[in-house]
Amino acid sequence: MVVSGALMGLVYALIAYGFQLTFATSKSINFGQGELVMLSAFFSLSLLDWGMPYWLMIPGGLLFGVALGLVVERTCVRLALEQKSEGWILMTIIFGLLGFSSAENIWGRDDRPFPTSLPTDALQVFGVNITPLEISVAIGVFTVMGLIELFKRKTLLGKAFEAVSADRDAAELMGVSATRTIMLSYGLSGLVAAMAGILISPITTVGPTMASALILKAFSVAVVAGLDSGFGVVLVGIVLGALESLTSFYLGSGWREAPGLVLLILALAIRPNGVFGKATIRKV
Amino acid sequence: MLKVENLHAGYGLSEVLQGTTLEVPEGKVVALIGANGAGKTTTMRAISGMIKPTKGSVTLGGKAIEGYATSRIARLGLAHSPEGRKVFGPLSVEDNLLLGAYNHLPMFFGFRSKAAVELGKVYELFPRLKERRTQSAGTLSGGEQQMLAIGRALMAKPKVILLDEPSMGLAPVIVLEVFNIIRRLKEAGITLLLVEQFAKSALEVSDYAYVMEHGRIAIAGTPAELHKDERVLAAYLG
Ligand SMILES: Nc1ncnc2c1ncn2[C@@H]1O[C@H](COP(=O)(O)OP(=O)(O)OP(=O)(O)O)[C@@H](O)[C@H]1O
Ligand SMILES: [Mg+2]
Repeated sequence: MVVSGALMGLVYALIAYGFQLTFATSKSINFGQGELVMLSAFFSLSLLDWGMPYWLMIPGGLLFGVALGLVVERTCVRLALEQKSEGWILMTIIFGLLGFSSAENIWGRDDRPFPTSLPTDALQVFGVNITPLEISVAIGVFTVMGLIELFKRKTLLGKAFEAVSADRDAAELMGVSATRTIMLSYGLSGLVAAMAGILISPITTVGPTMASALILKAFSVAVVAGLDSGFGVVLVGIVLGALESLTSFYLGSGWREAPGLVLLILALAIRPNGVFGKATIRKV
Repeated sequence: MLKVENLHAGYGLSEVLQGTTLEVPEGKVVALIGANGAGKTTTMRAISGMIKPTKGSVTLGGKAIEGYATSRIARLGLAHSPEGRKVFGPLSVEDNLLLGAYNHLPMFFGFRSKAAVELGKVYELFPRLKERRTQSAGTLSGGEQQMLAIGRALMAKPKVILLDEPSMGLAPVIVLEVFNIIRRLKEAGITLLLVEQFAKSALEVSDYAYVMEHGRIAIAGTPAELHKDERVLAAYLG
């Protein structure tokens, strides 16, 4: 049970990782990220409804996530960043609200089950009961994060990505277009959100309200772990997921949201930069 | 190779450059000297597009580049090694150099082998960088970071290099080393615009020099001519 909780936590970590991707290049995040997860999940469900085979649905859903991420960058973020304003905060929140009501109008208010092609019987792994579905979450999260980290370390474009996050002006001087890099980071962050949606939906359900529940937890994870440590979000995500399953077991499922909030408040009070984050030192 | 004409630029409402005109011919080293706050750095930033000129023209190899995005100007062959060096601290020395050649290299794979020749040349010029190739750039000493900043600019195989105060904050021995490097670049035929506090050393390595005062070029001439100019002698070579 704690293990399933921890695996759920990996999904929070994945969403929080999406925050890190865009924060690295642009010091901005998409407050509508939860809606990106939800919309991509609904879209993937529709792909299945239209008769698309399961394994084609996944790339389809991911592409949709990338497209949404690019739309967010273009419509909510780019102009604000050019004006050096914080307008992206309001704009991405508005995008989230729009996403929410669009989902209600297109797919309805009810939670819908998300089918899976995996067997649902629990397996015994090291004496722990675990379903193939939960294992798929772990595999999915680590594959996506691993591939993105590989991309950042092993390709020149990835290094340019890191260069922009280290020093945007200097990166421009090397011929790296910061604008394009920020676009790329939003695309990747949309991909990550879609992956989170596709992974978690078969376990929970798909519904417009999944957005706000997930974003809150991803946000707690991001704040606790900081916005620059991929390792940190995984660890904090696992801990939060495990804590949630413990509290809902011992205190009742109504307490499920409590650990996230407590963690968030504690982190903001104690370490505003995140437990794993390096304090951002402004160079003079 | 690089021509700046009647350039105006500034920050917000304050206009720093008030009609700067200068030229860097191909294969020459040109020095730009002047007191603190004269606008030397601002000139370089306006040339490389880090700030947008409000008036005037900048041409690189005959092509007008003013108003272009910084990354586009870089792709057209201008390498600006900025004040304060601005190496990518978290990245390795070698990654910093590879990023210098970003414009010439494939985006995904095979960039390392494609950069090998250029990388070899830079390592030959700066053996210290080769020793420290895997170290993160932020952990280098100030002098090493300066070598890296110069090496990174060379990796671009640029038409012109702008070098802003390479001696800034360095110990006297290291400053000598920096000027030796500049001399070697000059022998190699690199086209260079050099901003320096050490006016004397700057004049020694350059073919031509401009003295900047309050956002304008006040005096210009060959080093020999400037050495005869009393104003220059009193203010900068005293
Ligand atoms: N980012 C900025 N915002 C506003 N004003 C600036 C900025 N940078 C420089 N200035 C102003 O522009 C003027 C010229 O500065 P600049 O840095 O070009 O001088 P400099 O000749 O490079 O001086 P130094 O030798 O100290 O490097 C100064 O008065 C400075 O205060
Ligand atoms: Mg300066």
